[in-house]
Amino acid sequence: MPDPTPPGPSTASAPSPTTVTPIRILLADDHALVRRGVRLILDREPDLEVVAEAGDGAEAIEAARSQEIDLAVLDIAMPRLTGLQATRELVALKPGLRILMLTMHDNEQYLFQALKAGACGYVLKSVADRDLVAACRAAVRNEPFLYPGAVTALIRNYLDRVRHGEEDPDQLLTPREEEVLKLVAEGHSSKEIAEMLFISVKTVHRHRANLLHKLGLHDRLELTRYAIRAGLIEP
Amino acid sequence: MSLFWRIFGLNALVLGTATALLLWAPVTVSVPVLLTEAIILVGGLAVMLVANGTLLRWGLAPLDRLTRLMTTVDLLRPGQRLPVPGGGSEVSELIRTFNAMLDRLEHERATSSARALLAQEAERRRIAQELHDEVGQSMTAILLVLKRAADDAPEPLREDLQQAQEITRESLDEVRRLVRRLRPGVLDDLGLVSALTSLTQDFATHTGLRVVRRLDADLPTLGQESELVLYRVAQESLTNAARHADARQVEVSLHRVGEAVVLEIADDGRGIEAACEGAGIRGMRERALLAGATLDITSTPGTGTRIRLITPAPRKQL
Repeated sequence: MPDPTPPGPSTASAPSPTTVTPIRILLADDHALVRRGVRLILDREPDLEVVAEAGDGAEAIEAARSQEIDLAVLDIAMPRLTGLQATRELVALKPGLRILMLTMHDNEQYLFQALKAGACGYVLKSVADRDLVAACRAAVRNEPFLYPGAVTALIRNYLDRVRHGEEDPDQLLTPREEEVLKLVAEGHSSKEIAEMLFISVKTVHRHRANLLHKLGLHDRLELTRYAIRAGLIEP
Repeated sequence: MSLFWRIFGLNALVLGTATALLLWAPVTVSVPVLLTEAIILVGGLAVMLVANGTLLRWGLAPLDRLTRLMTTVDLLRPGQRLPVPGGGSEVSELIRTFNAMLDRLEHERATSSARALLAQEAERRRIAQELHDEVGQSMTAILLVLKRAADDAPEPLREDLQQAQEITRESLDEVRRLVRRLRPGVLDDLGLVSALTSLTQDFATHTGLRVVRRLDADLPTLGQESELVLYRVAQESLTNAARHADARQVEVSLHRVGEAVVLEIADDGRGIEAACEGAGIRGMRERALLAGATLDITSTPGTGTRIRLITPAPRKQL
């Protein structure tokens, strides 16, 4: 599980450009301005390269057919074929392709539907400047990338289900992790939690990642299964 | 029998009886009148008036019923009608016309409030769309350009640019919240069950209400308007439960009964007094009319409120 809120620019983790071929990215958004902005951000990373752009879902599929790509970054709201529909088709068309949603919707329903369709990450446009690069790298490592609000919602839902006996907390958490869990569920940011517990933000991030791992919410399929079991989406 | 002949007949009956009594009864009226005779005459007059009054009241009873219904009729609860008395009198004609007028008014009311609601929803959708598609996307682009500029800028400038980035981000979040409040985008994109799931989750998160969901996925297809009606009724009911009823738990269920979709929202709050149906519930009734649905609200003080909306699925075209 990658850190959903990387602290600052994540250029430090970029592999050196001489050793790897860049990740080839397809960018689909119906707004040329947004595409241009995303391109500005991605192209300046040595390990990422936007090789194709599409204005809607259908064009994205067309581009994926005619060109070798490793990662598709799709907007959800697009004309002709939405990002979700395009994801389903792309997964069927190219099983190895990683897909990342880049969207305005901060709604768990979209997140779970995207995961169910086969996307492995979900980035909000309002934090795209901060998270997009890290999300792209996580997607290529086949790790799910969730926005912070989604993590909070998931943990809160999980705790609620444990409280009502619908979920069995078979994984034992350390007292510290339990503290962090409670604070995350209450909606505190990593920084606030760090201040409250007198630990570093990095440690909070590590606790969070461990938590999701222990709760069995650490990969796309697990997450999707959990969402179905908890009635958050239909099977 | 017409109203004229009815009243005329009743009066004739009373006067005839009085005249018959005068003719055949052993009474005489002296000049000047004696006290006993005057008492008998005044007594007779009183009996006549009482008899006349009673008979007239009986004769005009249908009009009374009509007046009562006229003062209490509520167009938001359609189907209140008067029984038409037999015969071709003016009264039954009047009641029949009144019933027909209610039919027309209810229809007018339903279509005009439907028009208003649809116009309102369409306007909201348009604004939400524009905010999402134009403002939101441009601001996303600004955010990304700022990020790029901030990364390239020398130190003193970089801080300003980063500040601009944060301001843009906050505004973008605000735009997103606005869009969400204006229009349940999930409903259009992911359907009714997803929209209700998302709605109940939001409520659970923001109000601390425990929401139990029982949403069947296998539902007959409803029109877009009907789905929106279901969504808005659920939204209003949850708002009521959280804001006015002091409820701790709400159960939201959606299932099919035959060819209809039934939405039920039951809370354990303190119920609503029937006398004070607020604007919220009137709004629900108007929306229910729009979808041709039936809205039942049962509320008992102490055990909570149960709202039931039965929406028929549109008949399939042959």
